[in-house]
Amino acid sequence: MDLEEVKARAGPREFGPTDDMPEEYRKAATRMIQFHANSEIMGAYIERPFIRQAPSLDRKLAVSAQVQDEIGHGQLLYRAAENLGIKTREQMLDELANGQGKFLNCFHYPLDDWYELPMIMFFVDGAAMRRQATLKRTSWEPYAHAIDKICFEEGFHIKHGEDILKELGTGTRRDQERLQQAFEKWWPRILQFFGPTDDKSTHNDFSTAVGLKTMSNDALRTAFLNVYLPKAEKYGLEIPDSPRVEFNEETERYEVEEDDLDWDEFMQIARNEYPQGKGQIAKRHRTQEAVEWVRETIENPRTAPSAAD
Amino acid sequence: MIFEVFRQEKRKDYHVHVGNVHAPDREMAQLFAQVMHARRKPAHSLWVVPKEEITEVDSDDEGIAMGGLTQKQYRWATNYNTDETFAQEIEDSQREQEVAERGREEAAEGN
Repeated sequence: MDLEEVKARAGPREFGPTDDMPEEYRKAATRMIQFHANSEIMGAYIERPFIRQAPSLDRKLAVSAQVQDEIGHGQLLYRAAENLGIKTREQMLDELANGQGKFLNCFHYPLDDWYELPMIMFFVDGAAMRRQATLKRTSWEPYAHAIDKICFEEGFHIKHGEDILKELGTGTRRDQERLQQAFEKWWPRILQFFGPTDDKSTHNDFSTAVGLKTMSNDALRTAFLNVYLPKAEKYGLEIPDSPRVEFNEETERYEVEEDDLDWDEFMQIARNEYPQGKGQIAKRHRTQEAVEWVRETIENPRTAPSAAD
Repeated sequence: MIFEVFRQEKRKDYHVHVGNVHAPDREMAQLFAQVMHARRKPAHSLWVVPKEEITEVDSDDEGIAMGGLTQKQYRWATNYNTDETFAQEIEDSQREQEVAERGREEAAEGN
């Protein structure tokens, strides 16, 4: 199939493994799904310390269930990406461990305390869910199938995140103050979740033309703010004055003052060169090496180290 | 040889198991599958797979636990008393989980 035909046919779940897709399509889909898979894994790494730090048994159980879900999502997505024939699963895992794999900006920042957890579990995951819901209509069918399962599970994550937010936002004055501090720290990062505005986005046009992407960054950011701004206010959070966010009545879009955001830091993160992000990648690298023997054993059972007598 | 048949009703649907056919080889199996499972029912595609190529995980077997039948309310959206109607995708996920929950209840009752 040539590119013109792909663009003409592009629609929800239009293409699958039995279609002969041009390399440009397969590369673009691989880049997108690999990014998504990496983000699921790195998101799990951000949340993992809170299994130990959870303030109650219920929270501990729920956070560990969430982390387990995220790793499962990563596995599903690597499979969907592998189907494109550009990269193997092993290659993608190696790239992530070696610092070449790209993933969401928000997962380069470690979480410092429990008050910051809902910033990821409610706002960032909520933003991701907004985006994922639009991918049920992506043109690469194996990706859409993975998204079906991810969205089925994800509702629990967002509601659990909101439950934590509600608990802290309606808690003691100290809880409320610390939640507000966490929100102010994370707000710019959350706004950057959807990347730069459309006119500055590099991969947007092609992905949209071949139906991989079904909604632009700007439209998604607006869709997110429409439902999550009222939520923040509902739990007593004050929207910070900067970065400035204004609703434009004419375009019916929220407009973010780009200059209020630290795009140098964003680009540093995008290159995997942000110091704390490098720490997160190093964690993944160490784990990857630590369980090398497991993969080795699965591949070659005969060479497995035998148990001591 | 026995071949298992999975039918996809419309383009973009999931393939669903519909039964099997008895045939001497793959080619005949495809033909029989078509006659048995797509002659009078609309179908867009059939997967025809030799039975011995299929491995099964059976919930009746010892040590097999599937479908989350242990009590783990904490890992379902239905456990949290927050608003799910504020975002369409959260509501959709909640509805899907409610269906799954009913399925687990029925399984637990042994229906």
